[in-house]
Amino acid sequence: MIAYTIRRVLIAVPTLIIVLTITFVLVRIAPGDPAEVRLGDYASKESVETLRKEMGLDKSMWAQYLETLKGLLQGDFGRSMVNGRPISEEIKRSLPYTLELTLVGIIFGVVFGIPTGVYTALKRNTLSDYIGRILSLGGLSFPTFFLGILLMLAFSIKIPLFPVVGGGDIHNLADNLYHLALPGLTLGLIMTAYVTRMARSSVLNTLNEDYVRTARAKGLTERKVIYKHLLRNSLLAITALIGVYAIVLIGGSVMVEIVFSRPGLGKMMIGALKQRDYTSLQAVMIIFASLVVLINLITDLTYGLIDPRVRYK
Amino acid sequence: MKTLRPSLTIVILLGVLLCFGVQPTSAAKDNVLRIALDAADITDLHPHFAHTTQDRGIVHLMFTGLVRYKTGDIGKFEPDLAESWEVSKDGLTWTFHLRRGVMVHPWKGNPGYELTSEDVVYSFKSAADPKRSAWAAEYAGMTFKAVDPYTVRITLKKPLSELLFLPKVADYAGGLIIPKKPAEELGEGFRTHPVGTGPFIFTKYLPKEKIVTARNEKFYRGVPKLAGVEVFYMSDLSSRKFGLQSKDIDVIEGPPSQPWVEEMKRLPGVEVDIFGPGEAGVLHFNMTKKPFDDIRVRRAIGYCLSRDEVVTALGKAIAEPVYSEIPNPQPGWITGEQAKLRGLQDGKDYLYESDRAKTRKLLAEAGFPKGFTTEMYLTERGEYQVPMQNVVAQLRECGINVKLNVVDHSTYHHNIRADMNPIVLYNCWRPTADVKLTYFTHSDAVVVTGKKPNTNFSHIGAADADGDGKIDSVDYLIEVAREMLDAQGQKALWKEAQFKLLDWGVAYPLFIKRFTFARQKYVEWGYDLQSTLILSPQINELTSITK
Repeated sequence: MIAYTIRRVLIAVPTLIIVLTITFVLVRIAPGDPAEVRLGDYASKESVETLRKEMGLDKSMWAQYLETLKGLLQGDFGRSMVNGRPISEEIKRSLPYTLELTLVGIIFGVVFGIPTGVYTALKRNTLSDYIGRILSLGGLSFPTFFLGILLMLAFSIKIPLFPVVGGGDIHNLADNLYHLALPGLTLGLIMTAYVTRMARSSVLNTLNEDYVRTARAKGLTERKVIYKHLLRNSLLAITALIGVYAIVLIGGSVMVEIVFSRPGLGKMMIGALKQRDYTSLQAVMIIFASLVVLINLITDLTYGLIDPRVRYK
Repeated sequence: MKTLRPSLTIVILLGVLLCFGVQPTSAAKDNVLRIALDAADITDLHPHFAHTTQDRGIVHLMFTGLVRYKTGDIGKFEPDLAESWEVSKDGLTWTFHLRRGVMVHPWKGNPGYELTSEDVVYSFKSAADPKRSAWAAEYAGMTFKAVDPYTVRITLKKPLSELLFLPKVADYAGGLIIPKKPAEELGEGFRTHPVGTGPFIFTKYLPKEKIVTARNEKFYRGVPKLAGVEVFYMSDLSSRKFGLQSKDIDVIEGPPSQPWVEEMKRLPGVEVDIFGPGEAGVLHFNMTKKPFDDIRVRRAIGYCLSRDEVVTALGKAIAEPVYSEIPNPQPGWITGEQAKLRGLQDGKDYLYESDRAKTRKLLAEAGFPKGFTTEMYLTERGEYQVPMQNVVAQLRECGINVKLNVVDHSTYHHNIRADMNPIVLYNCWRPTADVKLTYFTHSDAVVVTGKKPNTNFSHIGAADADGDGKIDSVDYLIEVAREMLDAQGQKALWKEAQFKLLDWGVAYPLFIKRFTFARQKYVEWGYDLQSTLILSPQINELTSITK
């Protein structure tokens, strides 16, 4: 398993280089110039050219690419082209806000989605099932930002329980959780909808398996049938899809961060895009790509824990 | 399925939510003003680089100039860091006498010190250096000298009137004074750790989240009433509104939209500020692109459009029509009445009141009896979309089809500067008529091909504007006005230049729209907010929370 993990990590390297290359080329061929953005309308062409030189934008794209690659291999993301701050510092500050938000969303989705999915599957074609299906469909149909706004309206304006601004102090647990509650709930409800639907569908498939019928025939209690046979066998498909949806959730976190003004990677990415901050944008894309690779790896490794038939070669 | 107990999980969830939600909101309780701006983050807090509305608002908390625009009314200048000044008879030498006891903010372990002429001279030299300033062109040819610790002398190569010189040393852009020691010591770090002499001291910058400032207890105009100001970056309009409603935020930046203003006015405990100077929206026709090289086509468009319709689309509470490149209330602007009277006098039409029969006639004469189709880039921003969509609808009624290619704002700015648009809608405010005319109509500023390419999108001074086969320019009027010391003479020349532009139909002034902010009623600016040059409310020593 260790060899498998190392191999998977090594395979991630070309993936990240491809992401970097695509991002690098796309941001540079897009119209707009960080020097123009930074200096504004009044700046003379001379000032803009001087700044472009300082930023290294006068060099060929190839030279800039090699320089970026060299920096990244040394673990250096460089400096923001707009405010000159080291990007690693910005990421160090932003990443925890995005990670905690995504993590809360996943946990929320798993904790509430799996039981709801299993319950609605077992109560198939009853009122509970219909309600569960309608709610989960609603959750899937809601754009993340819209749900965020609705929750804000309900729990910050109508019932003033939570703040609508910022991510709180990351070093102060109470403050941090206080600011995390509504954004976490937003992503969590979306994730719950995803998980509910796939858990229901997975359980329904498993319900028709011979071993479930056999378990019931040999007189096992319903609880044992569900926990020992049904749930465990459904989990493999659920785990695989949770990985996929966790990646979708990372994308969703961008909108949630904008709506709740959380200083995470999503907000950093949108800001960098607007300001044509090439270096920051590249760094954020690399981090997002790394998260996707990491989640895929964790999903693959979890298979083995759930299903002993899966062997890593 | 008893073990799953969904009802129990819902109870637990609500419990968790309630536990999280026990912390009270904190706005205004600590006498700190919280303001939310429409931005994802800062761009630059070095005052000689800060150019976005959001950055300027923050910079003005911390920096001041030798003179200042009267707070809330940019029509007048007042002494600030300089107690008094005099100018030599030839208009070439300006001498400023500094206020004593002005303290530079403390920074990173340094206690701060008294500002002297050495700092002021350092600041202006920095503002004049293209490597250290985005405004260097404004200070070209000036020399700066510290006569004694409290006297600064600025010598010009060519004389400038008070109207054109004072804005360069006022509390705006390059005129904001950066003290020497912190600027040198912090270097690049000054951009995210500004140190000045203003009413508030920079405390903390939390990237993508907020800037925190604390009051300057040693501020030379008196101790500020607020304990501090926190500026939040909230690019989502709904979030800003909810922040205001929940009282997490005390003041929010709004869009230039009448429905938003009305919505805010309906909120209990909320006041809306609509203030100037505003941004003037002008359509610039590119004379190097067909069919806009034909004066008849440009004039036909002028007669097709109704300014009132555009203003109605924007909202009459926030916008009004303009009739010249220089908008109200800037010295040099032309009213509708003036344009009409002067037109009668000259036997010309400078007003272009909507007359579609004239449009059809002119288009037919130009060889487009059935109209024509053109294509242009436009930014996705609402303040451009609303008026331009209205213009496009009006033009369609005249047989002119304009296809809009909507792009993001940075791309729009890049493309229009690359001379890609046949028509450019540009919304802006410039501090003086000279700056506006120089950047938009002087031949040096022609996009791409000018000596100092800037925002002359029409190619004025590099193309035949009146159809006689010769290049037409207003350069000499701008240059002569710039060197005049008589304010009335200057204004007359600026107007003269604009009448020419109107006659040639190279630019069609549409509207000026004011800025909108909403605030809790318990926030008092401490002055009458009519207009501010930073385009957002000034928060100063008089601003208070009366709660």
